[in-house]
Parts: sequence; structure tokens; C-alpha cells
Amino acid sequence: MSAISLSPENHTETFHHHHAAPANGYATNSIEINDVSVRFKTPKGVFTAVKDISLAVGRGEIVSLIGHSGCGKSTLMNTISGMVKPSSGSVIANGNLVTKPGPDRGIVFQNYSLLPWLSVYQNIYQAIDAAIHGKTATEKKALVENNLKMVKLWEHKDKLPGQLSGGMKQRVAIARAFAINPSILLLDEPFGALDALTKSNLHVELLKLWNLDNREKTIVMVTHDIEEAIFLSDRVVVMNDGPAASIKAIVDVPLPRPRNKKEIVHDPVYMGIHDKLLGFLVDKLSINDL
Amino acid sequence: MKKIFSLQTLYFLIGIALLGGLWELISTLTKHEIPSPRATWLVFREVMQHPMQNDPDYKGIGTKLLSSLERVAIGFGLGSIVAVPLGLLVGSSKAMMGIINPIVQLLRPVSPLAWFPLGLAIFQDSHKASVFMIFICSLWPTLINAAFGASHIPQDHKNVSKAFGFSKWKYLTKILLPFSLPHIITGLRLSVGIAWMVIVAGEMLSGGIGLGYFVWDEGFNGGSIAKILVAIIIIGLVGLLLDKLFLFLQKRFTYAS
Repeated sequence: MSAISLSPENHTETFHHHHAAPANGYATNSIEINDVSVRFKTPKGVFTAVKDISLAVGRGEIVSLIGHSGCGKSTLMNTISGMVKPSSGSVIANGNLVTKPGPDRGIVFQNYSLLPWLSVYQNIYQAIDAAIHGKTATEKKALVENNLKMVKLWEHKDKLPGQLSGGMKQRVAIARAFAINPSILLLDEPFGALDALTKSNLHVELLKLWNLDNREKTIVMVTHDIEEAIFLSDRVVVMNDGPAASIKAIVDVPLPRPRNKKEIVHDPVYMGIHDKLLGFLVDKLSINDL
Repeated sequence: MKKIFSLQTLYFLIGIALLGGLWELISTLTKHEIPSPRATWLVFREVMQHPMQNDPDYKGIGTKLLSSLERVAIGFGLGSIVAVPLGLLVGSSKAMMGIINPIVQLLRPVSPLAWFPLGLAIFQDSHKASVFMIFICSLWPTLINAAFGASHIPQDHKNVSKAFGFSKWKYLTKILLPFSLPHIITGLRLSVGIAWMVIVAGEMLSGGIGLGYFVWDEGFNGGSIAKILVAIIIIGLVGLLLDKLFLFLQKRFTYAS
């Protein structure tokens, strides 16, 4: 049975457990997650979403969190953004203990989260105005213009979000996150609702923005798309199914950059990583199906 | 070619024709005790001859209408000024909800007319008592709907505010108010509808002026059922226009995400 040959035990030697030790090959850690557990009180009792997770992410590294729906990957990411407080353990971002959201961490939400009554321009302006202090209105306006031009939406600046396609909305959300110039970008299933073509274009656009910034921004992305995770990431963190989710495996993606979407899929290294990730993710599903 | 008659227009005309037919039938059955549409139309034209007349001893129908609208505008305006901020506060705070909600639930079912004698006792003036009554009955739907809006702000919008560190003022003006606005307008629309219904009853009690007084004095006391029917039609049309105005505003301030 293929399900048995793909069981994770066969791959034990290939994954590393990071206990917040410096991420491989990176001079400094951008994010350190130390023994983080998140528990929620529900009417049915205490629900443990994630349990005892430790992970370090280097400055300028791109890391994907991958796993089945409801495995707590978004919860884990929200402890970095400061939207969720760990019940135990701690998260350090840029050397500071995370207690709440801050302008050093930009967030791109799953469902765009644009304010429907504000124009594209105002959506970005209001975010900059709230997050960045000590800049004049002229400087803030210049930031909006630069960032909207970067995602090629300047000519749509006066439209309301309701008048845009899903891909355009997500580009506005990405521009908004970049506009506050955070050193850490947190993307929560950013391309999940988009068609394959739009998705591919946005992957390339995201990497372009990352390159423009000398690859200094650290990116953590939640996804359930294996191809997307490999194409974008330096490391892919596979999570166990919740409740009490933990890290199942961490897979390095040693593919040189810049990566070419069309060529990369024929690379034996890519195919090896793809198979490995598929094994981790499909394994449980096929056992359930038997 | 643009269609002159849509199906909706046709339905509308059928509805009006049915109403007219029923009216005609009742008129015939009552041996014209209830005047026919045609007889009513003649009285309508007569009433409309000097609508804006404003002499101490005789006031035209238009003058009466305006005085009714004026009272509604003042009472409804004051009620809304109180109800909108209070409703937003109630919707945003569990404590305020706990404090205000029982009061609203207790007072809301009270017939607005019950407030009239209280207003009369407080203000010693029937005009002010009517305005007071409109004020009270305009509060509840607006307050309840504003509170509903404020308490149903999507988590997505709250997340944006949290993630980018919106100030309290920015949250109020860029998220809370714009999101609640369609709900507030729904409340205003319900309030103005009730206010318009109540003013006619109120003016029957207060006497002196307004459409309600016209119905009572010139219609019932004057023995002209046609005048009552004319007043009913005018009251209905004005109520319809007020409703359409708020419906328009409601659509204007509703946004697709």
C-alpha cells in the first residue's frame, strides 16, 4: 500500500527539530518561538490548539507553515503577529517579547480584510496613518503611491474593494502590509481563494517585492498548497493535525534563487521535496480512507 | 428600444386598479355613505385650491401638512440625536447593553400616545407634548438598530484595527460608524414611519393644527367623509415618500466587501 510506504517514520532521518536554536545559515534570528502552547476556553472545556512548539526563523528567511485545515497553523502564526497570546511559552520578534501587534510585523489576512467603505488608496493610507508615527502627511501619501505602484494598482486607487477582483484585492492587502515597511511579513493563506493563474502571478510578485527590499524581510506564510510552499520558501514546516498540534517535520528547500516556476517543477530536488511533503500530508488521509 | 412598461409597473397598476375597484364597490354598497373615488377626487381638488392659505381662522391643507411634518422633524431629529450615539455605545459595550437593554425592553412596547398626557403635564403645551411623544417613539428602533450594527462588526475589520494599531478615534470613524451606518438608517427608517403614524393620532388629541386635526375637525366633526379619505391618501403618500427617502439613503451607504 502506498500509504504505508509514505508513512513519516521512513523519513525520520531527514527532518530537523529546531528548539529555537539559530535557524540554519542565518546570522540572526528574526523570530523565536519558545515552547509555545495556545489553549482556548470553550463551553465544552479547554481546547488546546497548539502544544509545545519551538521554532526559529532567520532574518530574511521565508518559512511556510503547512498542514490540514484546523491544525492550528494560523493560531501559531497569530502568536507571532500578537493577535493571539500564548498560554505558555513566549514569542520573540526582532529581539522583543511579543505581547501585541506592532508595526514591525505586517499581516496579510486570509480574506483580504479591506475596509469596504474606503477606497483602495484610503485603505492603505489609514493603515499607514495608524501604524507609522512621526511622518508628515506628504510622506505618508508618497508611501501609499509607491506601494500601490509596486503592485500596479495606482490607476485603481479610487475604486472601492467591492469593485476589484479577488487577485486585485489581495494585491491591495499585500501593498498595505508592505507600506508600513515591517521587517516581518505574516501571510495567512494569502492566495487560498484565488485561481491558479492569479495565484502564480502573485507568487512572482511577492518574491519581486521581497527582492526589491534586498531579501531582508522575514516572511512566514500559512498555506495548504504544497507547490506554493516549495516555490516560495526556504523551509517548510509541516504540522500535525490538531487538537494540540505540534511540528511533524521541517523540510529544507535548498533550491537556488531566483526560482523559475516552469523549470523548477522538473528539478529532481523539487520533486523529492514535493513527494516528501505529499507523504507527510496525504498519509493520514489515505489511512482514514481505508 | 427602451421598454416603457416593465412588468413591475404593470403589477403596480393592477394593484391600484384593484384598490379603486374595491373602493367603488364599497361606495355603491353603502349607497354613497362612503364617497366614491370620483366624488373624493372632487373634494380633493376643492381642498387643494388654496393649500398654503395660512389665516388665523383657516389654514390650507398644505399648511397643516407642513406643521405636522415640522413636529415630526423636531421630535424625530431630537430622538435620533440621542438614539444613535446611545445605540452605538450600547452595541459596543456589554456593560452598557446590560444596563440599557432592560429599560428599552420595558418602555418600547408602550403606546406612544400614553406619553402624550405626560408631555402635557411636563410642558403645559399641546404642541410641545406632541413633539415629546414623537421624540420618545423615535428613540427605540434607531437605538436598537444602531446597537445591533455596533455589536456585529466582523472580526476581519477588528483584526485590521488591531494589526495596524488604529486609535480609538480611527476605529470609531473608519470602522464602527461606516459599518453601523446602514443599520442606523434602517432604524431611522422605522422610527420615521412610526413617528408619522403617531403624529396623526397625537394631533387628534392635541387639536388646533396639523393633518390629524384636519381629519378629526373638518372630516369627522364637519361630517365630510370625503375629507377623511383625502387626508388618508395624503398621509399615506407622504409616509411613502419618507420611507423611500430613507430606503435610498440605506442603499447609498451599503457597501459590498
